[in-house]
Amino acid sequence: MAGPITWILLVLLVGAIITFLTRTLQQARIVALISSGIALLISILMYLGYESGAGMQFRESVMWIPSLGIGYNVGVDGLGLPMVILATLISFLCVIYAWGEEHRANQFFALVLLMDMALVGVFASLDFFLFYIFWELTLIPMFFLIGVWGGPRKDYSAIKFLIYTHVASLAMLLAIFAMYYFNGKMTGTYTFDMIYLLDAYSRGMVPISPYWINLIIGGMLFGFLVKMPAVPFHTWLPDAHVEAPTVGSILLAAVLLKMGGYGLFRVIIPLMANPDASTRFVLVIAVFGVVSILFSTFVALAQKDLKKLVAYSSIGHMGYVSLGVAGAVAFGTSDIPRILANTGAMYQMFSHGIITAVLFGSVGVIQHATGTRIIEDLGGLTKHMPKLAFIMLAGFLASLGLPGMSGFVAEFSILTGSFPQLPHFVLLAMFGIVFVAAYHLWAIQRALFGPYNEYLGDIHDIAIYELIPLAILVALIIVLGTPNPVCNHLYHGVMQPTATHILSILPEGGLL
Amino acid sequence: MGWIDYAYWIALLPLIGFVLELFIGKYTWKQGGIFANLTILGSTIISIGTLIEVLGGARIDVSVPWFYQGIVVGYMIDPLAIVMLCMVSFVSLMIHIYALGYMEEDPDKSLYFAETSLFTCGMLGLVLSNNLLQLFIFWELVGLCSYLLIGFWWYKPEAAAAGKKAFLTTRVGDVLFLLGIILLYYNVSHLPEPLTFQYIFSLEVLEAIPPTHLTAIALLFLGGAVGKSSQFPLHVWIPDAMEGPTTVSALIHAATMVTAGIYLVARTYPIFIASPGALVIVAVLGGFTALFAATLGLVVNDIKRVLAYSTISQLGYMLCMLGVGSIIGAFAVGYSLFHLISHAFFKALLFLCSGVVLHGLADTRDLREMGGLLSRMPITAIAMLIGALSLSGFPLTAGFFSKDRIIETAYEYGVATGDYLPWIFILLAALLTAIYTFRLWFMAFTGEPRSYLAEHAHEGSKIMTAPLIVLAAFALGFGILQSRFYEFVGANFDTHLIGELAHLGGYHLHHGGEVPLIIMILPAICAIGGIAIAAGIWYNNRVDLSRYISKSNPIYRLLWNKYYLDYIFKDLIAERLFGFVALLAEAFDRCIIDGIVNGISRAIIAIGSGLKRIQTGVVETYATAVVIGVVILILLIGGVL
Repeated sequence: MAGPITWILLVLLVGAIITFLTRTLQQARIVALISSGIALLISILMYLGYESGAGMQFRESVMWIPSLGIGYNVGVDGLGLPMVILATLISFLCVIYAWGEEHRANQFFALVLLMDMALVGVFASLDFFLFYIFWELTLIPMFFLIGVWGGPRKDYSAIKFLIYTHVASLAMLLAIFAMYYFNGKMTGTYTFDMIYLLDAYSRGMVPISPYWINLIIGGMLFGFLVKMPAVPFHTWLPDAHVEAPTVGSILLAAVLLKMGGYGLFRVIIPLMANPDASTRFVLVIAVFGVVSILFSTFVALAQKDLKKLVAYSSIGHMGYVSLGVAGAVAFGTSDIPRILANTGAMYQMFSHGIITAVLFGSVGVIQHATGTRIIEDLGGLTKHMPKLAFIMLAGFLASLGLPGMSGFVAEFSILTGSFPQLPHFVLLAMFGIVFVAAYHLWAIQRALFGPYNEYLGDIHDIAIYELIPLAILVALIIVLGTPNPVCNHLYHGVMQPTATHILSILPEGGLL
Repeated sequence: MGWIDYAYWIALLPLIGFVLELFIGKYTWKQGGIFANLTILGSTIISIGTLIEVLGGARIDVSVPWFYQGIVVGYMIDPLAIVMLCMVSFVSLMIHIYALGYMEEDPDKSLYFAETSLFTCGMLGLVLSNNLLQLFIFWELVGLCSYLLIGFWWYKPEAAAAGKKAFLTTRVGDVLFLLGIILLYYNVSHLPEPLTFQYIFSLEVLEAIPPTHLTAIALLFLGGAVGKSSQFPLHVWIPDAMEGPTTVSALIHAATMVTAGIYLVARTYPIFIASPGALVIVAVLGGFTALFAATLGLVVNDIKRVLAYSTISQLGYMLCMLGVGSIIGAFAVGYSLFHLISHAFFKALLFLCSGVVLHGLADTRDLREMGGLLSRMPITAIAMLIGALSLSGFPLTAGFFSKDRIIETAYEYGVATGDYLPWIFILLAALLTAIYTFRLWFMAFTGEPRSYLAEHAHEGSKIMTAPLIVLAAFALGFGILQSRFYEFVGANFDTHLIGELAHLGGYHLHHGGEVPLIIMILPAICAIGGIAIAAGIWYNNRVDLSRYISKSNPIYRLLWNKYYLDYIFKDLIAERLFGFVALLAEAFDRCIIDGIVNGISRAIIAIGSGLKRIQTGVVETYATAVVIGVVILILLIGGVL
């Protein structure tokens, strides 16, 4: 009897195949809607059945290639489950959003479903081999989404995206192999089991030299930082976004980037608990975080393309995740702020996913309606697109960290929780807050307000199938940013116990 | 169960009003406004009911946990909160009634009422909050509403720009405030029972925080207050905010939201009084802003901007009062709040009057195009006269009682500490206030009409003048409650606790200092003298000022350019400096970082095409290479492992 995670993967895989085989747009989108809907439903049921603080759940473990110690080993905890929901939710909404996509619709929707499956696989895998397969599998649908449905420079961007993140994945793969071989050699058990390996390395039960353990962490970290992406490994992202179709951008920014952040919690923190691991990695992660926040903010200030601006905002928001992780593992006299920082960083991953989807979704609508994304060519769009203006304003306000919306809960937790351990980094990050607000409001003022640019002609407001998913996300952003049982449960009931558990592997008080 | 147990409805009702106006307001009576008015009427009734119970000694403080330990949401009622609640809900109600007339013709009326309802919810929630984090959330919510309402006529470029400027300028203060909250958290989170953000300022808690941190926290909170209450140097946004509808100016930028900063300092007064040096800065900054803004009010010709500068100046008085309160302790909060509330009445009145003027003159705001309106809109003229008298501190009006006490306390502060600077600042400001206020009144209402529009001006409709009359009554008569109010709100904090905390902060509390008679009547002399000067110059335009009002007069030029602060902040810092940094970052990103990435790929392609020549097609060569490779690999792995 297969468990819910297998069902999600199967439904999406079968759905993708059937969608690919359909003949008409109508068939393709209905099959896609149903299969992504079932996947979302199963993940919500998992969430409802999730037992707070009980470790890995919904586990399934089947030996796959016993001779190499590879298993089909899946399960989720308070870190993976919200990410699985994010993946299925965003994919489902993407299917609705793309309801009008006519160009090679069967392939398009099949790729969205395949993407959904690969992402769920990444967040639910508990076997490094399986994890890597899903990790690399995410590249393929994205490569085609950019390469087939993309803008004028789609080939350049698709190839750059593929090669850049693939090279980074190779560093990660080498680190995985090193972990596998060293463990096998020292203990005699050759296995890719994630929990087992991470446990062994975090306790220092695999006696290897500090040089090797640091190299392993470095390789893993490189893979994750490129994916997040952290400055200066980020240049593939704006290029990919500029050329990607809207749905591709939404999936990329909302879910794909989270793979990098997920790796920090799942892999990097346990590895850093190794007694021989260098504590400098704390500072390395903190520096990457703060540099990403500040640098992306100033670059965003200079952007003329609305979509590129949103792409840079993603880099900054993911910088908060790095900062939160660094603040959580850094040494502090009290555990209370450290857990706050760690939970906040997890919350930021979910929150940024839903916020950025609204941003890219709105920009996509504008591009569709007006044919341009250059901020200066827009202006006064509220006149003809009041509904879009409402959604976009809500998304931008959420993105600049307005209280009452999910981003504030996350960023407040990260800043407040990291401050005792890393006060200077937090001060630097806070310096950026005003400028984050500045570029968001600047874009809003130029694009939505002021006199209408009559050269744009008579344009239509957002279509109903675009409005529904974005409105759902805006509602969710507000629900997750205000005091209510849903917000409390996700933060306090699901994420915080896992955040506490992850940190409990570290030495008392943290590193450094 | 009394009113007080349902006090959270004070904030919830306008939230319901917001939702109803937003979604179905358009389809109801007069296309909007009914839900906003009814829900705020409900809030006012509950507020007054609660006030009666609080006067009888009732208090409440209820919390439920939120997302993390020590982080809660809840509401509390004490004298400080309830007087604010009554003022905010009542003034908001008056302005909402007025807006039914003022916004009658606007096509987006229901949206307007939705936004002002949300604002009222935010402001009431801010006051009801029982912890700093929640206060911050509502603080930002009212800031958001201010942004949206300044830019309500979004198609006007000035309005869109002003909204952004307001948001960003206050954002600077907000970041400081947030940092203060974080620093406070840092200092209290390790205490055995982390009551992190709640207003529990016991001696034990504040003693446990190092004095330097305590002062830093207080000054960071002050930074937040400076942004929100538009104090120097973050005052630049309020004059521009006048681009919004006049009712918004009255509600948000005069009576309620801008007082949130003062409320914050009053609410966290125990921290301030326990922080060495913090209150001195509060006193000087407040006093300076009072004078500084008053000088700017002298030269502006835009009727709403004159009032905007007077708001900044009066907020300076309130802040200064809290600062010089370091010599009287807990009562300072009562004195400051009394001015805050009397100011809310007369300033809302003045703005609403100017709104009638704008309506009557097809939205002309330039005083030079007015004149002779007294006979054309008598009710408004008289109401505005009452507001102006109260603002100037004319004896026996509400403004007289509230301002007089501040100036007196500043003098006592001078006697006690030897620092007369705040007193001199606010005394001079009182004189200037009377001058510019009556400059406005005389220029607008007396003499001959100076434009076609002024000649054909008309009085506002009844729904607009009725709130004026009510507010005018308060602007005149609120002073009666002075001593009762001081007792009530002055007792908000435990006097004994404040005494101990003042000791911690190194302040010496004095009681019952004697003030010479001449000092006591000086404020009244300033007010009457100022009015006389204004009458001498502007009544029927008796004095020709064109000799002084010219660009060649350096003082006039300095004032006209607002001391060049707008230029420095906006042009030099925001646009040039950070614009340059942004361009630099963008160029670095595109050329250096991405250049390296693409350079590497180009290098690899070059190497690849070089290596292509190795592909000879001879199988033996390949086989040799494979064997060599495998050997090296084995050696490497063997050696390393």
